[in-house]
Amino acid sequence: MSRKLKINITELCSKICSGEIKCTNIIKSCFNNIKKIDVIVKAFLRLNEECSLVKAMQVDNKVKCETSKYGSLEGIPIAIKDNIMIKNETMTSASKYLENYISPYDATVIEKLRRAGAIFIGKTNMDEFAMGGSTETSAYQKTLNPWNTEYIPGGSSGGSAAAVSSGMVPLALGSDTGGSVRQPASFCGVVGYKASYGLISRYGVCALASSFDQIGTFSKTVKEAALLASIISGKDYRDPICEPLEQINYVQNIDLNILKMVKIGVPKQIFDYKIDNEINECFNMALNKLRLEGTNIIEIDIPSYKYVPALYKVIMCAEVSANIATFDGIRYGYKTSNGTNIDDEYSKSRAESLGYEVKKRILFGTYILSAANYYKYYCHAQKVRTLFMNQIATAYEKCDFIFSPSTLQMPVKIGDKLSEECDIFLMAANIAGLPGITIPYSFSNSGIPVGMHFMGSHLSDKKLFQVANAFEKISGFDIDKYPNI
Amino acid sequence: MLKSELNDVAFVAKIFINDVEKERYLKSINEMLDYVKILLELDINNLEPTIHVTKLRNIWREDVVKKCSNEVINQILNAAPEKEGNFYKIRKVIES
Repeated sequence: MSRKLKINITELCSKICSGEIKCTNIIKSCFNNIKKIDVIVKAFLRLNEECSLVKAMQVDNKVKCETSKYGSLEGIPIAIKDNIMIKNETMTSASKYLENYISPYDATVIEKLRRAGAIFIGKTNMDEFAMGGSTETSAYQKTLNPWNTEYIPGGSSGGSAAAVSSGMVPLALGSDTGGSVRQPASFCGVVGYKASYGLISRYGVCALASSFDQIGTFSKTVKEAALLASIISGKDYRDPICEPLEQINYVQNIDLNILKMVKIGVPKQIFDYKIDNEINECFNMALNKLRLEGTNIIEIDIPSYKYVPALYKVIMCAEVSANIATFDGIRYGYKTSNGTNIDDEYSKSRAESLGYEVKKRILFGTYILSAANYYKYYCHAQKVRTLFMNQIATAYEKCDFIFSPSTLQMPVKIGDKLSEECDIFLMAANIAGLPGITIPYSFSNSGIPVGMHFMGSHLSDKKLFQVANAFEKISGFDIDKYPNI
Repeated sequence: MLKSELNDVAFVAKIFINDVEKERYLKSINEMLDYVKILLELDINNLEPTIHVTKLRNIWREDVVKKCSNEVINQILNAAPEKEGNFYKIRKVIES
């Protein structure tokens, strides 16, 4: 896809369907771009060039027939995080454990995108089993931030963020357990959306922490995120937490009046944290812009905010230790050749194929769930979760959306560490099952984007898109600007 | 966390760790425990724990065995590191 093609996905799709633009040309140019850019950025783990071109030719042939019916993403290339199953394709979750695993079925989101006519051009890099915030724990490669390659792209869905940000692909999917879509989207200057818990089926997605996990989208604009959400959301009996809702159309026209009608809450606890200066400046500018549009901005009080990273760590690791227990080296995945008995075989299969971060979280989670610690840490953290959710519910009695910078910190250089609190505003959405969206706002002095975050109440996704749409319009961020790479 | 506790946890979590790794894990896990201790300052015994943010519903279906195509059976079995016929091959579970 030509990066200079300054049209949105819906227009591109209708030009493909009318025969004005050949899908084959779009896909060829998409792969030409990837070949030039991904040598540096390393966003993709695997590409699907041959199948994508065959699919593109089928689309072009379909166009010749007058009675053809088209999906709303007919012929549009999309990248998929490598923890989402595409039938008959390898899915590694960036782990050596799943190096040779072939997905036996499509994830629900893939089924839906397939029906909409999307073309899956490749699988993107991520932190191993989505455990990390930099994409550096991948067992295969480190993805670089396209805006400044000395820096991390964020994570865990760093490959998807970098692929969209650098214009290699217009859309991508990721998964978000504690900010894993929105944090890399913010670091790479694209729109990152995480749905309300239960809105999008996770069937066919490799689980991390099941009470937090949701699918998320990457796109250049809010409208495209809304389009993707309209396609992939909706009930699915194969994911027991999926809400029994019909598919909703989230795509709406931009209406700046919405900013006059909503009340935006800013948690006063934001100011308890050390926020990077450049982020703080952008945040204040963004608040001023909202005020100029007539938005009513109020201070809200959520005293338990400071417990968010700790409670996230306890519950996430506990759920990780249970979910990753399924990797035993028997039914699929890596099996050691050094085992002496069944226990030794399990232990060595896991030890030899899982990375340090994954094993650390399993061990911590197992410890937390042991009889001596279950009530002290795990059960207690769940009660803190209740406290936090009660306080969030009280806050939403006073405001419609909670607004904050996406992160406390700018991305760090490859090899350096982000603080534990960096993604605190993003984790809050996962803990309470709320929808969140990050919108690129400006650039730092080092040329890296800064994002702002809106969080809505449960299942307020449609209104969230409306507000985000309007905010994107007033932000002044140039979406046609691409990294010089 | 003590070294003996790490040994126990590694055994039940089925992760083999050597002595050099043990020191590194102990340091990291103890740092994590220090970090999450902040939660313990809250006296919230009156609150119910939140396990899931939405109500989980049972999804029922008839308990009927469905025919599975050979393609699917083969695909699932072929993913296994070792198999014999239509079975996974594993080491003896109960030692004599």
